[in-house]
Amino acid sequence: MDFLVTHLIGFGSAFLALTLDPLTYIYLIISIFLGITFGALPGLTATLAVTILTGFFGNKVPLDYSLIALRGAYVGAIYGGSYPAILLNIPGTAASAATAMDGYQLAKAGRGGEALGLTTTASFIGTLIGSAALLVFVWALLLLSQNIASPEKALLALFGILLSGTLMSEDLVIKGWISGLVGLAMAMVGLDPLLSEPRYTFGWSYMLSGFQVVPVLMGAFAVPQIIEGMRHAQIGQLAELRGRIRPSFARVKQYLPTITRSGVIGTGVGALPGVGEDVAGWVSYGVGKSVSPDSHKFGKGSIEGLLSSETANNACIGGALIPLLVLGIPGSPPAAALLGAFKLNNIIPGPTIDPEIILRVVAIMVLASFTMFLIGLFTARVFVKILLLPKVAFLPIVMVLTTIGSFSVGGGINDLYLMLGVGFVAYFMSLQKFPIAPLVIGVILGGLFDETFRRSLLISGGDLSVFISRPVAAILLGLNLALITSQTSLAKHLFRRVKNRV
Amino acid sequence: MHSQSDKAALRARDFWGALILIGVSLFFLWRTLDIPLWGGNRAGVSTAEWYNSAAIVPLGIFSALLILSVILLIVSLRAGGARLAFTSVGLGWDRFEALRFSAIAVILFFYIAGLVPRVDFILSSGRLISCLTVVCYNGVTRRILVAAMSVAVAGVYAMTQNFPQAEWRAHDDDIATLLIWMGLTLWAMRYARGERVLQAMPLVAVLFPVMLVCAMAFGFRQNVPNRGGFVFSQIEYHYYVTLRPLWRP
Repeated sequence: MDFLVTHLIGFGSAFLALTLDPLTYIYLIISIFLGITFGALPGLTATLAVTILTGFFGNKVPLDYSLIALRGAYVGAIYGGSYPAILLNIPGTAASAATAMDGYQLAKAGRGGEALGLTTTASFIGTLIGSAALLVFVWALLLLSQNIASPEKALLALFGILLSGTLMSEDLVIKGWISGLVGLAMAMVGLDPLLSEPRYTFGWSYMLSGFQVVPVLMGAFAVPQIIEGMRHAQIGQLAELRGRIRPSFARVKQYLPTITRSGVIGTGVGALPGVGEDVAGWVSYGVGKSVSPDSHKFGKGSIEGLLSSETANNACIGGALIPLLVLGIPGSPPAAALLGAFKLNNIIPGPTIDPEIILRVVAIMVLASFTMFLIGLFTARVFVKILLLPKVAFLPIVMVLTTIGSFSVGGGINDLYLMLGVGFVAYFMSLQKFPIAPLVIGVILGGLFDETFRRSLLISGGDLSVFISRPVAAILLGLNLALITSQTSLAKHLFRRVKNRV
Repeated sequence: MHSQSDKAALRARDFWGALILIGVSLFFLWRTLDIPLWGGNRAGVSTAEWYNSAAIVPLGIFSALLILSVILLIVSLRAGGARLAFTSVGLGWDRFEALRFSAIAVILFFYIAGLVPRVDFILSSGRLISCLTVVCYNGVTRRILVAAMSVAVAGVYAMTQNFPQAEWRAHDDDIATLLIWMGLTLWAMRYARGERVLQAMPLVAVLFPVMLVCAMAFGFRQNVPNRGGFVFSQIEYHYYVTLRPLWRP
């Protein structure tokens, strides 16, 4: 009980400090506006929004403001994806793919205003549910942190890379693992953390400090998207936005059970490391369809279908932060970009993170969701106009932002060469369906893995049993091995046999 | 998820991907041998034991990468990837896609490697915005080629005339870039009738880089590329000499 009271007081004071600072609102309003714009323009994504803002705010403003800007953009972009989904039948982000199924039908039927208003409200409530779950998991963090030392950290980093590779792979699972290993390999460049031995520097002094996070983030997430997006595309037929956007209290109350259920599903799916907002939207949509008495209306303009997807994708944001903050494993690609921002500020998310940071993150999430709600309700028609702009008008600007964002972090021109190199490699990898997020996670967690793995062996005098003699380490090693063996054909065959018997 | 033909194309591309990955893994495994593993000697000082060597983790990573690459190759071969590898399906691109990618790659390469270090950032970025917009708007082959060529010419000029860092402050490449940019803009305006994006392009290409660089340099107080550039040096001079004394005498 003391724990609960302490955390509620901690959250309350963090929230109060935020609300009393006028700069908070400037950062929030700008970042949410930018986030919604990125989400609303098909081809620009939430990951891109968070990545670009990481370049600008990562280490140039105090951490609190940086977090406000990044969280605001994340929340805004996931919500913003609903605009083109409802009005153009094109999801602005992958997270809104399920939204388009019913949203566009509603807009065509002249209920676009109602659909946007309810979507905004559901996204707001969904974000709040995710934030509440995040607050609860501070407890888990405190319990876990008692038993974490170098062996556990090394195994946790490896688990994060393997798991994200497994879950984020669209094609073969080994492609996800290869991507993670490429990221780990990139993290090996530079002076090694224990002996300062130069590795793979090829006599170039810039390489001694290793690959910087921001150019890698920009290269991996922004450059492939710019190359892929720079093609001519006709803007679709925009459905007319008719009707009142602000929903009545009675309508919200009517759909509250759907919103609550979808919020819980979205949070749960988001908490699975590596599973993003798009999966949350589809899972919730599927559950909604199977439990709704009006399931036959799904896909034909059902408000329930619309809210199932939209609530879940925003609730997923809070969920995705749980593995990031508690385990150091990002729950989605935008969370991987956020991990980069933490690293820029010398904060390694995971069991040893300062719980106060988590309380501040939750407070920011709550305030960001309120701001998004208000911006969404009162300025929706502005974003509808943005939908009419072609993405080729935006992507060149994004490239300039990416360039100056990478340059200003400190490495100068060399960081730009790195960004471009990583960008081309990531583009070819994405063409071959290698997931890019595990690569970024590998780069970010690689240094930690190298240092803690070798420190564990150093402490034990080279005795490998250090990884099984400690209970938490043994569990983590077991999870790593289970993850690898579960993908072998023998394990798959056994699973199938057991499933058939059951 | 993927249709059968998509999967066949992916397995064919995996064939090439696996071969490249095997080559990369073997190269870096060979490079890892340069790092002392079994307690080597550096300048007469004995280095650490095997378990603390800087080579141990990279060795594991590149070995795992090699194994996974071989598995990927086997998967590809079993699915008939090698058979399709030399066809257009295996190579993955049609002619227009190859042209589009090459043009964007040329533009980005000369922008980052040639223009950004040597040419004023406002000029080089304005130029990039113009070129990318021309390349992608309506996707006409001739426009793509002209835009890519114009960046390549400006980039090659900057790199050949002012290659070493000591010469990056020279302004001849700034002027060359400005002239080529103006030429491209005038050429693009011929096609701009009825195309709103092309009509707005010159304004965006001038205003956006100016606002961005000023915000970064004077707002965030961050370093910006090529501070001694033709345009930015003038802005910076007038900011500190003419404007700033107005509120901070």
